[in-house]
Amino acid sequence: MKKVVVIDDEPFILMMIEDKLKKAMIDVVTLRSSVGAVEVIKKEKPGLIILDWMMPELSGIELCKILKRDPEIAEIPIFMLTAKGQDADEQLGLRSGVTRYITKPFSPKALLEMVEEVMIVDKP
Amino acid sequence: MAKTKIIYKHIVIFLIFASLIVVPLTFTVVKQVNKMIAEEESLHPPGNGDYTQPHREFSDKLIESLVPFVFYILVLALMLSILFSRGMLISLKGLLRGSKLMKEGNLDIRLPIVSDDELGEVTRAFNEMAATLREKTLELQRKDTYVGAMVDPLWVVDAGNRISDVNPAFTRMFGYAREEVLGALLYDFFDEKNAAVIRKQIEEKRDRGISSIYEISMLSRDGIQIPVLISGSPIFEGDKIVGKIGIFKDFREQRELRNELQREKEYVETIMDSIEDQLFVIDKGYNIIRANRVAMTEAGGPVIGQFCHVIAHHMGKPCWTEGHECPAQTVFITGKNYRTTHQHAGPSGERKFHEIVASPIKDSSGNVLHVIELIRDVTGRMKHEEEIFNKNRELVALNSIAGILSKSLRADEIFTKILDRMIEMLSMDGGGIFFIDDAKREMVCQYHRGISEEFVKMMGRIRLGEDVPGRVAVTGQVMTTSDLSKDQRIERSFIKHSGMKGYCCIPVRGKERVIGVFCLFSFRTHNFTSEEENILTSVGEMTGIALENIKLYEKMRELYEHQRSRREEEQAQILSLSTRLGSAIELRDVMGPVLELIRNIFSADLVWLLVRDQKGNFILKSAAPESGREGKLIYANTVSSIEGYSVERRAPTVIADIRAEAKFYLASDIGNSQFQSVIAVPMHIGEKTVGVYSLYYLGTREFKEDELHFLKIIANILAVSIERSDFYLKAITEKGLSDTILQSVADGIITVDVNGRIISVNKAFSIMTGVTAAAAVGMPICDVFRYSDDNIDFRFSLGECFDDALNGGRMSRETFLTSAFQNRNAVLISATPVLDAGGGVSGVVNLVRDISHEKEIDRMKTEIIRSVSHEFRTPLSAIVGMTEMILEEDIDDKRAKKYLRTILSEGIRLSNMVSDLLSIARIESGKEILKLVSVDMEELLSGLSRSFSPLVEKKKAEIKYDVDGARYVVGDEGKIKQVLTNLIDNSLMFSDDGCRVHISVEDAKGGVVITVSDSGWGISEDDLSHLPERFYRGKHGQRIKGTGLGLSLCREIVKMHGGSMEIRSKPGEGTEVVLSLPRREMK
Repeated sequence: MKKVVVIDDEPFILMMIEDKLKKAMIDVVTLRSSVGAVEVIKKEKPGLIILDWMMPELSGIELCKILKRDPEIAEIPIFMLTAKGQDADEQLGLRSGVTRYITKPFSPKALLEMVEEVMIVDKP
Repeated sequence: MAKTKIIYKHIVIFLIFASLIVVPLTFTVVKQVNKMIAEEESLHPPGNGDYTQPHREFSDKLIESLVPFVFYILVLALMLSILFSRGMLISLKGLLRGSKLMKEGNLDIRLPIVSDDELGEVTRAFNEMAATLREKTLELQRKDTYVGAMVDPLWVVDAGNRISDVNPAFTRMFGYAREEVLGALLYDFFDEKNAAVIRKQIEEKRDRGISSIYEISMLSRDGIQIPVLISGSPIFEGDKIVGKIGIFKDFREQRELRNELQREKEYVETIMDSIEDQLFVIDKGYNIIRANRVAMTEAGGPVIGQFCHVIAHHMGKPCWTEGHECPAQTVFITGKNYRTTHQHAGPSGERKFHEIVASPIKDSSGNVLHVIELIRDVTGRMKHEEEIFNKNRELVALNSIAGILSKSLRADEIFTKILDRMIEMLSMDGGGIFFIDDAKREMVCQYHRGISEEFVKMMGRIRLGEDVPGRVAVTGQVMTTSDLSKDQRIERSFIKHSGMKGYCCIPVRGKERVIGVFCLFSFRTHNFTSEEENILTSVGEMTGIALENIKLYEKMRELYEHQRSRREEEQAQILSLSTRLGSAIELRDVMGPVLELIRNIFSADLVWLLVRDQKGNFILKSAAPESGREGKLIYANTVSSIEGYSVERRAPTVIADIRAEAKFYLASDIGNSQFQSVIAVPMHIGEKTVGVYSLYYLGTREFKEDELHFLKIIANILAVSIERSDFYLKAITEKGLSDTILQSVADGIITVDVNGRIISVNKAFSIMTGVTAAAAVGMPICDVFRYSDDNIDFRFSLGECFDDALNGGRMSRETFLTSAFQNRNAVLISATPVLDAGGGVSGVVNLVRDISHEKEIDRMKTEIIRSVSHEFRTPLSAIVGMTEMILEEDIDDKRAKKYLRTILSEGIRLSNMVSDLLSIARIESGKEILKLVSVDMEELLSGLSRSFSPLVEKKKAEIKYDVDGARYVVGDEGKIKQVLTNLIDNSLMFSDDGCRVHISVEDAKGGVVITVSDSGWGISEDDLSHLPERFYRGKHGQRIKGTGLGLSLCREIVKMHGGSMEIRSKPGEGTEVVLSLPRREMK
């Protein structure tokens, strides 16, 4: 079973996702900042990364670009979970290599389904 | 010499005659004697030689003694005859000398009459001849002097329309030498179009003995068209017309001025009407004296003359009674521009926001004469903003440009007497002038345009009272109709179904009655405005006066045909008078000399001219000699005066002894002098009284009928001149007014001719671009913006708009304009064509509106939407997501409790944000009212620090306060608390643990100063400049949750209190916020 790395500066978001995924027997690693996230991801080699966009210091979209440039981890699918709900933002996110763009507020149930879909496809 | 010649002739003739008489006589005597001797001898017998011999010798002796004797007698007779004819010779000699002198040009000779015989008669006749010649020559010389000295060119043409003489002024004006033009055909001096005009005049008027004045363009020697006013009259010899005389008046200046005024007016009207804000000009009584199209449309009723607050804000009461400051009042007091936003109830009670910009119109000495108010309805904008705050949803961009542009322009205010000009002015298709034939009670069209000769013939004579012209001639009332064919008032009419639609008919009013009518028609419908009707009426009156003058003159000529020389003198004087008055626009300078001239002509002791103001008071316009009371009131309307009496009578009034007439009040100028008699001559134009002029005499003076006629003509000339001058002055003042309007508009205005060259720019343009008016005028419009490479887009957009306007379109484009100082602003360009009377494009007005404020609002709105959505979405995630998980029973109860707490706190955050937004919205909308109380700052701050204590404890922070300076502050307690809460919250949020917050309240000069300082992170210089912006969140905003509204709200509240807020900060050194509030007293 692969892991999911979740990065968000809002603790309660992390709490929610962790609780929901763990109940579905998915391993979760949470990070409150994108600083140092690359090392964690390289170490953990997750099957999926869930990212917030608006974070201090390094934004989700910047991190996404860094990840996609690194061949070692470029293949890992990324979910962008953000409050930026405009079409232009979504386009920018998708162009940066995001697999799915999910706007807040979100349904934890729906998120889980999307996570499972990606993890299953990845399984074989 | 002559003497000898005559005497020689005398002697020779005498000798011939003497020889003819003496020789035959002698021979006859001798022969007879010889015969007698022979007879005697025959009686005596021959041979008596003694007797015969002496007899034979007798004849010889007789001859010897008789011949010398006869000769002596003859010589004696000759001498005697010479002696007696000497007297005759003296006369002859005198005549000879006289003739010689006359030949040399001396006409002053008077020869002595020596004898009373025929020679004496001849001498007398000679003297008379010399005197007559002298008089004639003098008359001729005088005429020559008049003609030569005339300012206006003149020509005389013969019956064949060839020039027989011109004056020096003709050469000066047109460049042709006299010799060049003599014998030339007058039509050669005009181009085809003008030649047709003058041909018509000559054929229809001059050849029928009618004088006329008309405007025409004549070709100068250099081939330039010079606009002139020709006053032409036929020259009679007996009943026969032997030629014509034409006097030209230089019309260049007038025409230029007229064109310029017209152009200016068109531009300004277009500008005013292309401003989509309401524009009013307000006088000191707060009455509207001018308004633009938008303002009139907005008001939906009459605007001019109404109170500004009634029209602009739909308020029955002046602004200040409603708690607003009145912008007009403010500007009248301060003399400076003033900008404000008012909230009013609309006509149907709805709430309206008006942004008002008021600017002064000053006279040369800086007094505020009028105020211009530009009123922009910002209700839409305000409501828009409110909507965002109240409903929190995405909004469409504010589109404030609604573009209510003028439909077309009507050049309808410039006065002209001439039919062509009227047609052009009112955009009519044609017209005609009918004159009344009193004897037949009929009218006939004598001058027409746009209709065929045939049509005129078909129309024939119109009986008075019939058809439209006939009815107008009888009623004397102007009649206009927008569509003749549908007008119910007109039943039987020849013209009704002629295809004419727009139609007006104006009576041409002489002094006492209607003498003709003036008709204009259009094949399209034409609504005549009341303004147009007024102009038409005055045109009719002016035309009438002109005609009346000609008639008066002809009447005078009839009456006093024999007083030719005198009439000529008068004509010269009138000419001089007319020339002076005609060429002057500003009458002040010429009125004096003109009155002086009148004074000289009639040898009066005082001449003065009084004009009547609107109230009927008589004001002194000018006097000769100068009185020093010019412009002052002479007779109030309540006083009975000689002048007033003459105006009422509408006729010149002579008073032989002014002191004997007790009923008249005498002005001090008159009363104090010893004037005895007076003639007062009223001046009228149609029904309107212009004024009166009077001539005062120290002695008595009687006036003959011809003098009265002359005075009347002068009155007419003066009246028309005064009217015209007033008209010009009004037009010029209006131009000044319009200029001020142009300059006070906040949008950049560039007027451009059809070739793309800039005619004028206003102040706002210079402020927007940094280019001065002097530098811009004359340049091609797009080149003006070349100073910056960033203006390529701007120039392209401007070019597009301009081209479209040239084709009659009205395009607008949004783009960016970079000023010479590198400021870049969003602008909206809109171009409007300036239409001339014929509907052609004569120029373009380009408006450049700085929409950076609107754009900023737009940007802020987007920001609001973005910020609001983001800030709202995060707490909503907790509420939605966590609730779902609790319901799905994903978590245990203990966890669920934690979830619920999060949901609660995020819910509260959401609610705070909404209330912050609402507070700002309320303050900005002007709905929020301050509840002023005396606030105990000690109590307020202690309460605040208590409420912050959990956070203070958590962050190991410290809040201290010091209110010793001013414990009580008058203000809205709730709002001050809100400000301080926000500021303290900011201090605690944007700081590390152990932060110190200090609040002090101090008494300062002019108010109270509250300072909130902290030892937090501080604000970077970059962020500091953006802090006033709503929804701006600085560097730390990413770390700390907030709305970006806190400081905006504080600022609004402080502003509401009439105070100011200043933020000083350096990164790493903390922040200091200084609030200055004005001192208030509790009532």
